Amino acid sequence: MLLGKLTWDAIPLNQPIPLVAAGVVGVVIVAVLIWVTVKGYVPYLWKEWITSVDHKRIGVMYCVLALVMLVRGFIDAIMMRSQQAIAFHAQGYLPPEHFNQIFSAHGTLMIFFVAMPFVIGLMNFAVPLQLGARDVAFPTLNSVGFWLTATGALLVNISLVVGEFARTGWLPFPPLSELKYSPGVGVDYYLWSLLISGVGTLVAGINLVTTVLKIHAPGMTYLRMPMFCWTTLASNLLIVAAFPVLTATLVMLTLDRYLGFHFFTNEAGGNMMMFMNLIWIWGHPEVYILILPCFGVYSEVVSTFSHKPLFGYRSMVMATMVICLLSFMVWLHHFFTMGAGADVNAVFGITSAIIAVPTGVKIFNWLFTMYGGRVTFSVPMLWAIAFMVTFVIGGMTGVLLAVPPADFLLHNSLFLVAHFHNVIIGGVLFGAFAGYEYWFPKAFGFKLHEGLGKASFWCWVVGFYVAWMPGYVLGLEGMTRRMQHYDVPEWRPWLIVAEGGAVIILAGIVLQVAQIFVSIRQRAALRDEIGDPWDGRSLEWATPSPPPAFNYAVLPTIEGEEPYWDIKQLARERLTLRDEPAYGDIEMPRNSPTGFVSAFFATFLGFAMIWHIWWLAGLAAFGAFATFVVFAWRDEDEYIIPADEVARIDRANRSARSAVLKRLAAMQVAQ
Amino acid sequence: MSYTGEGPELHDTAPGEEEHEGVGGYVIGLGLATLLTAVSFFVAGTTLVWQPSIPVALVVLAIAQMGVHLVFFLHITTGPDNTNNVMALAFGVLIVLLVLGGSLWIMARMNANMAPMPPTMHMPR
Repeated sequence: MLLGKLTWDAIPLNQPIPLVAAGVVGVVIVAVLIWVTVKGYVPYLWKEWITSVDHKRIGVMYCVLALVMLVRGFIDAIMMRSQQAIAFHAQGYLPPEHFNQIFSAHGTLMIFFVAMPFVIGLMNFAVPLQLGARDVAFPTLNSVGFWLTATGALLVNISLVVGEFARTGWLPFPPLSELKYSPGVGVDYYLWSLLISGVGTLVAGINLVTTVLKIHAPGMTYLRMPMFCWTTLASNLLIVAAFPVLTATLVMLTLDRYLGFHFFTNEAGGNMMMFMNLIWIWGHPEVYILILPCFGVYSEVVSTFSHKPLFGYRSMVMATMVICLLSFMVWLHHFFTMGAGADVNAVFGITSAIIAVPTGVKIFNWLFTMYGGRVTFSVPMLWAIAFMVTFVIGGMTGVLLAVPPADFLLHNSLFLVAHFHNVIIGGVLFGAFAGYEYWFPKAFGFKLHEGLGKASFWCWVVGFYVAWMPGYVLGLEGMTRRMQHYDVPEWRPWLIVAEGGAVIILAGIVLQVAQIFVSIRQRAALRDEIGDPWDGRSLEWATPSPPPAFNYAVLPTIEGEEPYWDIKQLARERLTLRDEPAYGDIEMPRNSPTGFVSAFFATFLGFAMIWHIWWLAGLAAFGAFATFVVFAWRDEDEYIIPADEVARIDRANRSARSAVLKRLAAMQVAQ
Repeated sequence: MSYTGEGPELHDTAPGEEEHEGVGGYVIGLGLATLLTAVSFFVAGTTLVWQPSIPVALVVLAIAQMGVHLVFFLHITTGPDNTNNVMALAFGVLIVLLVLGGSLWIMARMNANMAPMPPTMHMPR
C-alpha cells in the first residue's frame, strides 16, 4: 500500500542483459559521483552549472545530455541490429518482450532525449550570441526547461532497472497501449517521462521564440539576423504550436489508463484512430522542429567555410517560414493506409510533395554558396557536405512515400524505417555534429582534434550508408519493421551488412569519445586565443572564447547582415581595433536552483504516478508548487558585474586580437 | 525579466504593461467572462429556445469567451507595439483551424468509408 504497485518483482533479477547493463551504468554513475566528490568539484558544479541560468551553460548541458543519451540509444540500436542479424529461423538472444522494449526505448530516446536536447542546446548556446544579446528572455525558466527534460530522460533510464519500458513503439498506439493490452508499467513510464519533458520542451520553445522576437542588439532587425536565428524562430514557433497537442494527446491516453476514460479504447465509443490523427498533428511538425535548426547550422557552416556570405539569404528566410507553415498541413501522410479515402489522401500527398520544394531551394542555396568560394574542408564543413548528399537521397525517398499508392506498399516496411533514419541521421544528427564541432571552441576555448574528428566523420558516414541502404532493399523485399525473428533467406545477407554498418558507426562513436579526451589533453595546442577560430562572419565570433557571462562588454550596434565580418574587414584594413568603448556596470540574472529543485520533485512525481504511490505523488506535486512560490516571491534576482571587471575581461580579448593584427602588419611590412 | 542595455530598440516591458490601466480592465473582463459562463450553463439546460439552436449558441458563447480572455486578460490590441502578439494570435488561429478542420474532415471521411458491419460483428457502443 505504501509503495503502490512497486515490489521486489519490479527488479528484473531473472533477465541478465538489462541487469548487467544497469549494473555497469550504476557503477559508472557511482564512480563519477565519488570522483567528483573526492576532487571537491561539487560546489563548483552546483554554483557554475546545476543552478546556472546562463544560456551558454544551459546549452552545453543540453548537448551533454544528448550525447550521453545518444550512447544509450546507440546501444539499443546495435542490440537490435545484432538480434536481426542472428534471428534467422531462430529466436536470437533477445526474447520478444525485451526486443519490443528495446525498439520502443531506442525511438523514444533518440527523438526526445538525443535529437531534441541537441538542437535545443545548440539554439540556446548560439542564438543569444548571434543576436548580440546578453541573455535569453527568461533565464530561470530556461533552466527549468532543461532540468525537466533531464527528468524525462532519467525516468526512461530508471525503467531499465525498476519495472519495464513500453513495448508499444516510440509512439504508443492504442488500443495496444491501453490498460487492457499493456497492463504493465511500461507505457506509464513512457507517458510520464514525456508529459514531464514535454513541459520542459514547451518552456524552452516559449523562451527561444521570445528571445528571437524581443531581445537583440540595437540595429539587429529581423532581416539582419543570421540564418540560424531564423530557423530557431521557425522551429520554436512549431514547438509552441505542436507540443501542447502531444501533451494533450498523452494526457487523454493517461486518463484512459488511470481513470477508466475511453478516448482511444475499443469500447464505449472510443476511437483509436483519433490517437493516430492527434499524435501525428504533433509528429509531423516535430520532424521540422528537429531539422530546421540543423538547416540553420548548415547555413552558418557552409557560409563560414566557403568564406562567402550565404547565397540567397532572403529566399532562405522565405523557405524556412514556408516550411514552418506547410509542416502543419501534411500529417496525414503518416497514416495514408488508415482509410480516409482517395480525396483526403490526395490532398495530403500533394502537400507532402510540395514541402520538398522549399527544402530544395535551401539545398541549391547552399550549393551556390559553395560555388565560387574557397571551401575549407574542416570537420563541420565535411558534416555539411555529407548532409547535402545524404539528405537529398532521404528526401527523394520521402517524396516517393508521399505518393499514396506507393505508400500503401511501403507502409510500415523497412523502406520507411530506412527513409526516416536517412533524414534524421543524415539531416538532424549530422547537423547537430556540425554545430557541435563548429561551436565547441566558442564554448570551451579550444578546438576539437581535427584528425580524430575527420576519422569519426568517415566512420559515421560510411557506417550510416552500410547500415541503412540495405533497409531500402529489405523494405522492397517486403520486410516489415520491428521483427524479432524471421524466416526469409533473402533478407539475411542484407541484415548482416546492416549489422556491419552499425559496427562501423560504433567505431565512429568511439573515435568521438577519444576526440574529446585527446582534445582536452592537447587543449594548450588547440587553444582559440582570440575567439574566432574559423574566420567566422556572424556576431558570436566577436566575443572571447569562452564568452563571459554577459556575452558582450558593450552591446554592438548592427549595421548590416554580417556585422562581425564588416568589423573584422575594417580592422584588417586599418590594422588596428576600434577605439576602446566606455565600459559600464552590467546587471545579470542571479543563479537559481529553481530548475533543479522543481525537476527533483517532478522526478518523484513521475515515479510515484507510474507506480501508483499516491501519497508521494501528492507530496512531490506540493513540493514543485512550493518551489514555484518561493521563486515567484524572490527579492533579489540580479547581481551587478562592475565596470572594472567588464573592462578587464574585454581588454584581455582586445589585446589578443591586437596581437593578431600586429602580426598581420608585420607580415605586410616584410612583404 | 531584465535586460540591461541602451538604445531605442530595446523594450523591457511586456505588451500591455505600459498602459497601467489598473484593475478596472480585469474586473470588466471577469464580469464578462462570468456572465458568458453563466449564460452557457443556462442555455445548455433551457427549453425556452429552439433545441437545435443550442449547440450553435454554445459555440458562439465559447468564441465570445475566448475574445474576452484575449482582450481583457492577455491585452491583445491592434496597437503598433502589438504586432508580434497579433501575428502570434493569427498563427495560433491558423494552426487551430488547420488542426480542427483537418481532423474533422479526416475522421468524417474515414467514418464514411468504414465498411458497414454485419449484425453478428456488432460491437457494444
